[in-house]
Amino acid sequence: MKKYALYPGCVMPTEQYAYEQSIREVLPFLDIELVDIKGFSCCGEPMKSVNQLMTLYLSARNLAIAEKQGLDLFVPCPICHLSLSECQRVMDNNVEMRDRVNGMLVTEGLKYEGTIGMFHTVDLLHDVIGVEEIKKHVKKPLDGLKVATHYGCHLIRPSEIGRPVDSENPQKMETVLKALGAEPLDYPEKLDCCGAMLSANLPESALTKTGQKLQKVQEHGFDVFVDVCPWCHRMFDSRQVKAGETVAAKLEVPVVYLTQLLGLTFGVDREKLGLNLNLSPVDKINLGGK
Amino acid sequence: MSIVDLTSMGESQVALRKEINERLSRLQDEISDYCFQCAKCTSGCEAHKLLELEPHKIVALLKRGLIDEMVNSDIIWTCMSCFKCRERCPQKVAPVEILFALKNMAVASGKQIPGKYTAMLQSILSIGLIQDVQSVMTRDSKTLKRDDLGLPEVSKPVDVAKFQMVLSKLAVEKV
Repeated sequence: MKKYALYPGCVMPTEQYAYEQSIREVLPFLDIELVDIKGFSCCGEPMKSVNQLMTLYLSARNLAIAEKQGLDLFVPCPICHLSLSECQRVMDNNVEMRDRVNGMLVTEGLKYEGTIGMFHTVDLLHDVIGVEEIKKHVKKPLDGLKVATHYGCHLIRPSEIGRPVDSENPQKMETVLKALGAEPLDYPEKLDCCGAMLSANLPESALTKTGQKLQKVQEHGFDVFVDVCPWCHRMFDSRQVKAGETVAAKLEVPVVYLTQLLGLTFGVDREKLGLNLNLSPVDKINLGGK
Repeated sequence: MSIVDLTSMGESQVALRKEINERLSRLQDEISDYCFQCAKCTSGCEAHKLLELEPHKIVALLKRGLIDEMVNSDIIWTCMSCFKCRERCPQKVAPVEILFALKNMAVASGKQIPGKYTAMLQSILSIGLIQDVQSVMTRDSKTLKRDDLGLPEVSKPVDVAKFQMVLSKLAVEKV
């Protein structure tokens, strides 16, 4: 049994419950225990346009809280994962900044030491658990299901900071999906952005980005669209109808979290995986049986 | 103190002006001379097709000293931080990071913060997260709360007063 501290961030625990539900259902099958820790705050990334020092401080604060537990972090949100990774890089390489931030952390009795590692859903499944272990638990394989993957920009770039997957040809989700019996296929728009980071100031444009990508996915004839980011999922699933309006298309693309698909193949009840919360037409396809 | 004061540093405009000008010229020095205008950043830019953001032009204009113009331009707020420009630049110039710096300067100089950023900042200051727990709809139009799903309490700052103290101070510090 491997133990990780869960860093939930903001969007997943306040809105994208299906991701959290499916994570909490699926990981115990794979011998992973998640520990809930009190006191975390926003990672700071959404504030990077406003005040980068605040972003750095908030990330360092969360890392310092996790360090107290002596556990590596499981960070299911790519936005948080990038923010925390970038913070580690700055704090480990820039002594002056590290001292300055630690000077502020003292108020809450915290100190950044740089002692812990960090995993996202994709590298936890692919690198730590491994497909052989995952295969052992598959009871209802996704025979021939044509899957389009979406990693999320913050998970794959910038590689300079060290990301869990390759920046130009990410394949780890595909490898996991093949182990579930699915048929993941590359498509030209695979690396396109969902636009979510524009939601704060240009919501219409953000939805247009989402609509453009989903329209292509629909035209390519995929059975299901799989993501691993609560921000992206909010665009592709929760706001799919509105996104369709921006490109004058009726979008009917089933969108699910990777962990929801895993749960279905493991035979977990649909409701326990939060599948009733997906607003896209996930009933359209027979995901792992009813 | 209101959020606007916190982020705009409402007082001492002269000193502020000087400070910002210094930072602007520093930014100009820091912006890499290595950019040879290949426009690879713009060719992959997610905001380019939709909103006409041209990262290579921003870099060129900054090198020509048009920094104030860029700070005051709305175009810097069209970047959706996909990081493709930083990933693909053969000269490691990272236009996305330059845009973050310009947006930070716009905020610090007292320009109105666009859209929902103020609301998010306010929420972080009061509860530590960009938004509080939301009710959600199921596909068959039932409303559910986090509690209904058997999920544990959301992790938030415990000593809110101390958390706010640092953050408010930070909001007026120079970036």
